[in-house]
Amino acid sequence: MSIWFALSPLLILTFGVLGLMLADAFSKRHSDLALGSFITFFGAGLMAIGLWIMGGVPAEVAAKVAPWIILDKFTLFFTATLCLGGAISSLLAGGYLPEHDLDRGEFYALMLLSAIGAVLLAAAGEILALFIGLETMSLGVYAMTAFRRTNPRSAEGALKYFLLGSFAAALMLYGGALLYGATGTTTLVGIRDALTGGQFGSLRDPSRLPTVVLSMVFILVGLAFKISAVPFHMWTPDAYQGAPTPATAFMSVVVKGAALATMMRVMLVAFGDKASASWSSGWPPVVAGLAIATMVVANLIAIRQENVKRMLAYSSIAHAGYLLVGLVAAWGQGDPAVAAEGRAALLFYILQYTVTTAGAFGALILCGSRGREAVTYEGLSGLGRRHPAAALAAYYYLRVLVHLYMREPAPGAPQAIPMRSGYVYAALLISAALLLYFGIMPGRSLEMAVAAAKSLG
Amino acid sequence: MAQANLLEQIYFALCALLAVAGAIGTVAFPNPIRGALSLLFSIVAIAGLYLQLHAPFLAAIQLIVYAGAVVVLFLFVIMLIGPDAVPPKDSRALVARVGGGVAATAISLLVLMVLARKTFPRIAPAQAEFGSVESIGALLFTDYLVPFEVASFLLMVAIVGAVAVARGKQPDPQLAKGKTQELVPADEAGLKDRGER
Repeated sequence: MSIWFALSPLLILTFGVLGLMLADAFSKRHSDLALGSFITFFGAGLMAIGLWIMGGVPAEVAAKVAPWIILDKFTLFFTATLCLGGAISSLLAGGYLPEHDLDRGEFYALMLLSAIGAVLLAAAGEILALFIGLETMSLGVYAMTAFRRTNPRSAEGALKYFLLGSFAAALMLYGGALLYGATGTTTLVGIRDALTGGQFGSLRDPSRLPTVVLSMVFILVGLAFKISAVPFHMWTPDAYQGAPTPATAFMSVVVKGAALATMMRVMLVAFGDKASASWSSGWPPVVAGLAIATMVVANLIAIRQENVKRMLAYSSIAHAGYLLVGLVAAWGQGDPAVAAEGRAALLFYILQYTVTTAGAFGALILCGSRGREAVTYEGLSGLGRRHPAAALAAYYYLRVLVHLYMREPAPGAPQAIPMRSGYVYAALLISAALLLYFGIMPGRSLEMAVAAAKSLG
Repeated sequence: MAQANLLEQIYFALCALLAVAGAIGTVAFPNPIRGALSLLFSIVAIAGLYLQLHAPFLAAIQLIVYAGAVVVLFLFVIMLIGPDAVPPKDSRALVARVGGGVAATAISLLVLMVLARKTFPRIAPAQAEFGSVESIGALLFTDYLVPFEVASFLLMVAIVGAVAVARGKQPDPQLAKGKTQELVPADEAGLKDRGER
């Protein structure tokens, strides 16, 4: 197998985005670009699954790009998951952008480039490559958040996201620099070896330990920001609300998935040594505390939201809490058998989360049309009587039972009117079908999650 | 020997002080031009630190790219907006400011305490050709080829993002027609739920 074939998911995304940018320059109809980016995502995801079926990338081929890009089954699993999220988001964009007069081709280029960053982030086995992937992904998402710039809410959300995001990235970089100073290496595996006793002797030497702990804290803060765990979640509701809804779907699915992948790699591989991953002196109690705070705070605030998009933002924060619970389970108290189960469960969860969340935002997009966007629960009142099909979709993903079916809109209050778009229907059908498939026949995807988890570390 | 060492220490202290002072000035000056010029000080001082680390090429690049191009671009933009553009009055609560200051000081002290313990291993002294154009070029195109190529994605996404945001300035046709982008009560709801974060 040649290295080009092994890298084909990334190459398909790259040539896809280059082709789309050219097509954008010469075409007037931007909705074709949505189809183009869907096909690109689909092709890349298919190649990842194809490589998987062929037994993964052989070690001697993968060694050519190691340690920068690690081509193990873990990477292939995340590549497929991220491409699935990207594919659904691009279909949603194809419906949403023309409807709301935002139809500019850069959106698809940004989405694909950002997804390339996400795949690189999930595959990175070295701090430098990790940081480049993280920044590529984040810059694309910042720009997508600011896409509706004339809307003050979009500008506010984007600025907040950009400033806080840069700050978190700087903290993470500082952590990486300290770690390099303490261990003399930037590869994740090398860091683990150094921590267990490498060329500089054991870092268990008490005078060196604080530097490692400090760098671990900084890196953890940076990653917690990206998956928006409490108390690093302040940007999330504003950015989610301000961004065009397909960008919100992309952020909550792809960005979170890639951040989770890198979190697993950093915490379980680089900081996977006995002392760093222990309840008495390591990260598990900190991550568990973050998880508890995230779940409690996010769910409590979500109850009080009147805006559906903000509610979904808090729900996405709460999901970060569940992911962190999964991360502690993936540590498994140091027992390899328990850890393997925890890791597989976490991977399976992110797959489900991708499909469900993309569908939820899709339903929200479907329920609104130009000037009549579905933003509040109130706006959804009585939709079950007026537009049964759209209401069914909204109920399937959002479960807003009372407002959809049991309440009539107040006289004079603005009502959401569903839009018509083949792209959005397709996205909803795909995610509904996959959701049913994963729910009724989870065997195949569970097996893949187990195999992917095994290849980590 | 000891004297050379002392000179090195003084040079380092000067550069470091200038860098930190410039960084503080960048965020503290209300006047944007002064902020940009403080940034220039900080960048030049960091170039000085690179020189001391036997990386003259990096120092030159730092001066050309950051001091030469980036800061000039900043100044250009500030002049375009108008140098008198002063940010609106800081309306944060006193509690938030004091709390933020205390937290920042505490974290900085913690970091200082940890770093002051000389916890870094001794790494072999740099080779003679370290930091030269040849060795950097060789590293970039051999060992570090993958991240070097991957960085092109980063540059591309930055360019496309800048174009996307800049084009977004075109007046929204919906707003021009007098329609609002979101339903009005949503905006109210959005404003109401700000307080509870």
